[in-house]
Amino acid sequence: MAETGTPERAAVLSDPMEGHTAKAFDGALTQLRLHTVGMGGLVIDQVSTAVRALLDADARLAQTVLSREQQVNDMERAVDREAFELIALHQPVAGDLRMATAVSRITVELERAGDESKKIARFAARMASGEPQGPVRAVARYLQHMAELTSGMLRDAVLALDDSNSDLADRVRARDSELDAEFAAALRQLLTLAMQDQRYLGVTIDTVFALKGLERIGDHAKNIAEQVVFVASGRDERHKKPQ
Amino acid sequence: MIGSPAATESAAGSHIHIAPEAVFEADKVGIFYGKKQALIDVNMRIRRGQVTALIGPSGCGKSTFLRCFNRMHDLQPDTRYEGSITLHPDNLNLIGAGVDPIEVRMRIGMVFQKPNPFPKSVFENVAYGLRLRGVRNRATLAEEVEKALRGAALWDEVKDRLQDSALALSGGQMQRLCIARALATTPEILLFDEPTSALDPIATAKIEELISTLRDQVTVLIVTHNMQQAARVSDYTAFMYLGELIEFDEAAKIFTNPAKKATEDYITGRYG
Repeated sequence: MAETGTPERAAVLSDPMEGHTAKAFDGALTQLRLHTVGMGGLVIDQVSTAVRALLDADARLAQTVLSREQQVNDMERAVDREAFELIALHQPVAGDLRMATAVSRITVELERAGDESKKIARFAARMASGEPQGPVRAVARYLQHMAELTSGMLRDAVLALDDSNSDLADRVRARDSELDAEFAAALRQLLTLAMQDQRYLGVTIDTVFALKGLERIGDHAKNIAEQVVFVASGRDERHKKPQ
Repeated sequence: MIGSPAATESAAGSHIHIAPEAVFEADKVGIFYGKKQALIDVNMRIRRGQVTALIGPSGCGKSTFLRCFNRMHDLQPDTRYEGSITLHPDNLNLIGAGVDPIEVRMRIGMVFQKPNPFPKSVFENVAYGLRLRGVRNRATLAEEVEKALRGAALWDEVKDRLQDSALALSGGQMQRLCIARALATTPEILLFDEPTSALDPIATAKIEELISTLRDQVTVLIVTHNMQQAARVSDYTAFMYLGELIEFDEAAKIFTNPAKKATEDYITGRYG
């Protein structure tokens, strides 16, 4: 026996009703989402700027990334605080609660993606000050491609959050394997280089870390996408392979 | 579309390992006040030893449904029931035409929005239902009154003033006395109709804590306007709207990921 009313009338009840009766709650939720998206925008720029600094051995760009790192950290604390206060003051449930808890997790992922960018920027600064550029040159194509992939994944994950779009988030999750394949290919290239010429072993290892950092940023984007799926649909996709 | 019977059960089954048995089974329950239909085809299983909350906006039919269980609508003329509410395992249809409402009420307890103790002593309030059922032995009465007062978490506060007027108690104590009065007759189900809306937050917390512990003694059906209260105290939650049951599931599911948009809109405050 179905524990429900009649289907016909229920369909009418399911008409969209937008906005909360409590407008302050609407405002708080909107602010929370916008601030998270804003933090996402900054982190995306950190990633692409850091890789640009590395490829061009540009000290000024590297310094830009390093100087904005504190801003990323401040945003993490501020957004997390907002989510915490929203839970305390408005007692959200269902989709609103999923948004508040997901945002707390998303800010952690973004902050860690920012940390990876910082590490790449530090390496770029050393390159700019005269370290040998051979290993980076050897995998420049991979670095460039992986930076585009990770930035794209982060951008789409943040857009998916902004639109509560689980389809877009699912597509972000699916792209992680492409990034992993690029990383594996770049690693093979560097290993070959290291075996042929061991003079630049230190820089080669730093280059591996930079590539690994980009691969980790892709993981963070995937994790953000999983949270967006949770917000939009209630599905918990963590630790599951994308379809 | 609202789930088919199989879908509803499988949806519940996905997160209930051992579903408690149904003690009451509402099947296509409807109620008419004259020509106006206030309740439309409500199907619901009330699980034994569980707290089930009914939520929904004013006029959605939640109190109307609750009051079917003790045939309160019989007190109004020109009221007609449809469907059945079966009490298991007796197979008694509470709203059946041939069933005596007094017999039904003897098996159901109810607590109202406003505490309504009798203008008698604390002891006599609790003993009243027992006396009606023919209990005369003083020792038995004293024993049952103490048990009911302990069950309602009131004994320690009133054990030295059992002969004082119940009307001298605080609002929260009066409400717990009403719960004790209902518990004394060992009902099949305890109905709560907005039991804390007239109480302060501390008294409310005590009643909620009591409701949570009551599930060991009795099945509970509660109507509340306070959604956080439904989330806190209930095992199952039903969302009703315009006389229909829209969604019924475990409270944790309803308040984290409801299946119906109408439910989500209501519990998140987007309704109307």
